[in-house]
Amino acid sequence: MNQKLDVGEIEALFGGERVFASDVARVWWDGATGQALLILKMEGRANKINARFGEGLAEAMEATRALSGLKGIVLASGHRDFCVGADLEMLYGSRDAAALYSQVRSLSALFRSIEQGVPVACALTGTALGGGYELALSCHYRAALDSPELQVGLPEVNLGVIPGSGGTQRLPRLIGIQGALENIAQAKILRASEAASAGMLDSLAPDVASLLEGCRGWLAKNPGRKQPWDSGDFVWPAPAPNSEEGRNIFMVGCAMLYQKTNGVFPAAEAAISVVQQGSSLQFDRALEVEARRFVQLAVSDQAKDMIRTFFFHRSAAERHEGLPTLAKGEDAGIRKVAILGAGMMGAGLAFLCASRGYEVVLKDITAPALEAGMAHVRTEAERVGKRKGAAAAAAILEKVTGTLENAPIAGTDLVIEAVIEDMKIKHRVTRELEPLLSPNAIWASNTSALPITALAEASAHPDRFVGLHFFSPVEKMPLLEIIHGDKTSENTLARSLAFCRSIKKLPILVNDGYGFYTSRVFASYLLEGVQMVAEGIDPVLVEWAARSAGMVVPPLQVFDEVSLRLGRHVLEQAAEYTGRGLPQATALLVALVDQHGRLGKVNGKGFYDYTQGSRGYKRTGIWTGLTELTATRQTAEVPALARRLLLAQCAEVARCFDEGILRQYRDAEVGAIFGIGFAPNTGGPLAWMDRQGIPALVAELEALAALHGERFVPATKLREMAAKGERFFD
Amino acid sequence: MSTAYLYDAVRSPRGRGKENGSLYVVRPIDLLSQSLKALEKRTSLPTNLVDDVVIGCVTQTGEQGACIARFAALQAGWDFSAPGVTVNRFCGSGLEAVNHAAAMVASGFHDLVVAGGVESMSRVKMGSDGGAIWEAETQWTVGGVPQGISADLLATLYGITREEVDQFALRSQQKAAAAMASGAFSRSVVPVIDGSGLPILEADEYPRADTTFEKLAGLKPAFEMMGTQFGLDALTRRRYPAVERIRHVHHAGNSSGIVDGAAAILVGSKEAGERLGLKPRAKIRAVALSGEEPLLMLTGPIPATRKALKKAGMSAADVDLYEVNEAFAAVPLAWARELGVPEEKINVNGGSIALGHPLGATGAMLLGTVLDALEDRNLSTGLVTLCIGGGMGIATLIERV
Repeated sequence: MNQKLDVGEIEALFGGERVFASDVARVWWDGATGQALLILKMEGRANKINARFGEGLAEAMEATRALSGLKGIVLASGHRDFCVGADLEMLYGSRDAAALYSQVRSLSALFRSIEQGVPVACALTGTALGGGYELALSCHYRAALDSPELQVGLPEVNLGVIPGSGGTQRLPRLIGIQGALENIAQAKILRASEAASAGMLDSLAPDVASLLEGCRGWLAKNPGRKQPWDSGDFVWPAPAPNSEEGRNIFMVGCAMLYQKTNGVFPAAEAAISVVQQGSSLQFDRALEVEARRFVQLAVSDQAKDMIRTFFFHRSAAERHEGLPTLAKGEDAGIRKVAILGAGMMGAGLAFLCASRGYEVVLKDITAPALEAGMAHVRTEAERVGKRKGAAAAAAILEKVTGTLENAPIAGTDLVIEAVIEDMKIKHRVTRELEPLLSPNAIWASNTSALPITALAEASAHPDRFVGLHFFSPVEKMPLLEIIHGDKTSENTLARSLAFCRSIKKLPILVNDGYGFYTSRVFASYLLEGVQMVAEGIDPVLVEWAARSAGMVVPPLQVFDEVSLRLGRHVLEQAAEYTGRGLPQATALLVALVDQHGRLGKVNGKGFYDYTQGSRGYKRTGIWTGLTELTATRQTAEVPALARRLLLAQCAEVARCFDEGILRQYRDAEVGAIFGIGFAPNTGGPLAWMDRQGIPALVAELEALAALHGERFVPATKLREMAAKGERFFD
Repeated sequence: MSTAYLYDAVRSPRGRGKENGSLYVVRPIDLLSQSLKALEKRTSLPTNLVDDVVIGCVTQTGEQGACIARFAALQAGWDFSAPGVTVNRFCGSGLEAVNHAAAMVASGFHDLVVAGGVESMSRVKMGSDGGAIWEAETQWTVGGVPQGISADLLATLYGITREEVDQFALRSQQKAAAAMASGAFSRSVVPVIDGSGLPILEADEYPRADTTFEKLAGLKPAFEMMGTQFGLDALTRRRYPAVERIRHVHHAGNSSGIVDGAAAILVGSKEAGERLGLKPRAKIRAVALSGEEPLLMLTGPIPATRKALKKAGMSAADVDLYEVNEAFAAVPLAWARELGVPEEKINVNGGSIALGHPLGATGAMLLGTVLDALEDRNLSTGLVTLCIGGGMGIATLIERV
């Protein structure tokens, strides 16, 4: 019978007698010690907090408590993870505040009853996030496997909500307000070792046996143990929330949050408020304050939009849902990767591929460029070395060959071309090197804008020619935009996607056209920002408007980072390919570059002024001379500017549907959010358009088009949706 | 409506509001009851005729909690029939007390009211009364920054330079030193004494007559680190998005001093004064309150002054002397720019930068100061105005009779 149950390691180690089993949990009893083991194992692949979870856990607890002579409980999971939180399908669909409130309150009451009963030691053999970690917080002792894979945290604000099962009240009482605010408001996810040093785990164990022994030993030594906040002598970890220092922590916490998020993340703001409010209340009532705020946020549009994009779309993209795949058993056939161009991108890619086990050739045409690229690889490898040991670093470096020659490229299975954005040069490189590759090799261009179909004209095998558009810095940016050239084969796409998976990037798959999807939308944003400045709008307001819309980096700052010369080149190139441009904005860029030598951060003067610090140039503020180059100062309201910046992008996104660039809604959201820093608070451009209401959006775009030009003209896609009363998402 | 008259005004000297300040050993109730007693003595006040004792006090907690007005009057030995109320309009509390008293008298509801204020900043720390202003939730719903950052924002918005604020502060010190040397405060200041009658403090102890421009210029901006490193400057952008960077210019030397003190003023109707055989020193011409954007907060005196002038049918130029509370040097500088008042008319005996700002008492103290200054110069009209937390402002316009 035990075999049929697929008993896990921890159950086998515990032994004893099985006294309860359900679709949620089973309980083992060791009468000799008075200890029980409660294993959470919901039907399916994971423990997800939903209505059944609550009922099942309550039943199991009841059965356990009925055991005569019970002294303590070890709580563990029968799945790989302990529990990664709420069932998001359930949360996403929940619009009824009253129903959700009663659900949340009953779960909270269950957790409360767990911590007010016999001592419970939580043995984490896997990750505990959100509600999962809140359950762990309701236990009297938290031990975990010392594994780099095991994560702990309360990342709810990333989905537009706050912890709703006591996390905002237990964590500050456990580790103090400073740590709790950092973790909750910043949605931190910690590795087990980090969580232990933060006080969020009580101990770490090298293996399951010692984990279990540790928990059982703790229970034996702590009979009748209460939670600190339920003991009469509870003292807040310093500084207490109502002390002067505590008050300052809340004030600075608010400021730091606002500095980062500019008021667009109500959930993070609410997290600070709820921690503070609850800190002076009786514990059960503090839980009520938390639950009420959780529900208010959970039923909001923002939570739905963020859950859709950051969970559903993202995980569907991670699973490559609906994307070409290799036949079963088929291999991508990629062992050796050649990266052409050892700039920031090329060097980053070389490191990335090498650290995933590929044999890498990094090629450039000048020795200094190559050396700089190899130095970057070494620096990154050293960073790995610090975490995983010198052998790991050496293994990466061993894989990378830097070269100025063509010969080492022989036999390459995948070329990622990251040379200068010039069609002729790219064509020449393709013609020159393609013959050296292995028979079935893929040629990928990392161009950020040039049409793949046109680039493939230089290739003898356009079916094996694809666009792999990475984002800088490539070590950090998760997105990979895969471009389907007219002749790119399904198999090439499937192999490219397999490669994408192997280097852990998040794919979107789009059709070909100048700027594809992301560059095109990003350019519309950047250009709109410059256009506003050229029109005489205070550049300080333009930058702030972008931030207050939620855009991750304001437009003029982007220009300064990538250099105005490059920005200008891209604009001119775009005008050449698309026949569209903004002469006024382009003229401003040309004047900045040609007449004023303002190239951006690279020479310490761009749209911004800089001071030379120990770590390079540091922005001091918008260049005061800028307004002399622009039209007469115009007054403007921030909310209108913010909308204009978002609308310019949304108009472009919608055109990408008209022109068949975008193949599915998911890619529009994932590409914008993870590729170009589109306002994460919105959930993405489509979600944002839905929230405006498509008919109202069409009217607003038409009005803007009349004022500012055809770039705002609403796409057919939008007009049709408006006519049919459709939305992007239900 | 009839007219409210000011019959007399007294105040304590201002002591440094720290553990090394002379008045640190004095309970706030003692500070206030000594002012009340002094007023009683100087006006031979039959306290059974006092309709109310209205006292401004900001930090109403601890020793200053639980309606200190009533208990200070009782401790002063006043008739049980003289009640007491403690009011909090932040830094405007002392003047609010006077205006409230004046309103009750002018309306005819009361005949004789004692107004005043008290604040022992050395013993009851500013902010120790808590409040929603400290809560994160209020930050999200209303928004606010510590006053020093507001002051620096004000200076930035008005283009007021560090040199200007330091020069203003220097003149405040010089004017205060000259006023003290010439006995300009002697009519109002009553020494604080101990139980055996020994003086604890006889004159304002906060001013630094030896201050120089160089010394002031050498001080580090006090709110820069808080604003930039701790990110508090960023909170101002929700209302002032065009201010990319706040220029931090204020420091301890050009901001109001933290001090202890109390004040009391006798307000009454014409008839009440006649009955007591008292000669009024001035009458209240107008009072005003204002509310503006709470994050910048410090511009309140501008609309409050305009409102009071309008009520009195006067222009800014018609008023002989002004007391504009020097919460921060930028406040009177910005006010003067808006109202077009020359500096010779403003704070002629120095202000809170030199003398200190005992929160709940200051308004009442400034009213006494402007009255003394008008009499010394044989001028007629004076206006007192203060900026107030939460974006409020208050003003009182008086005329000698």
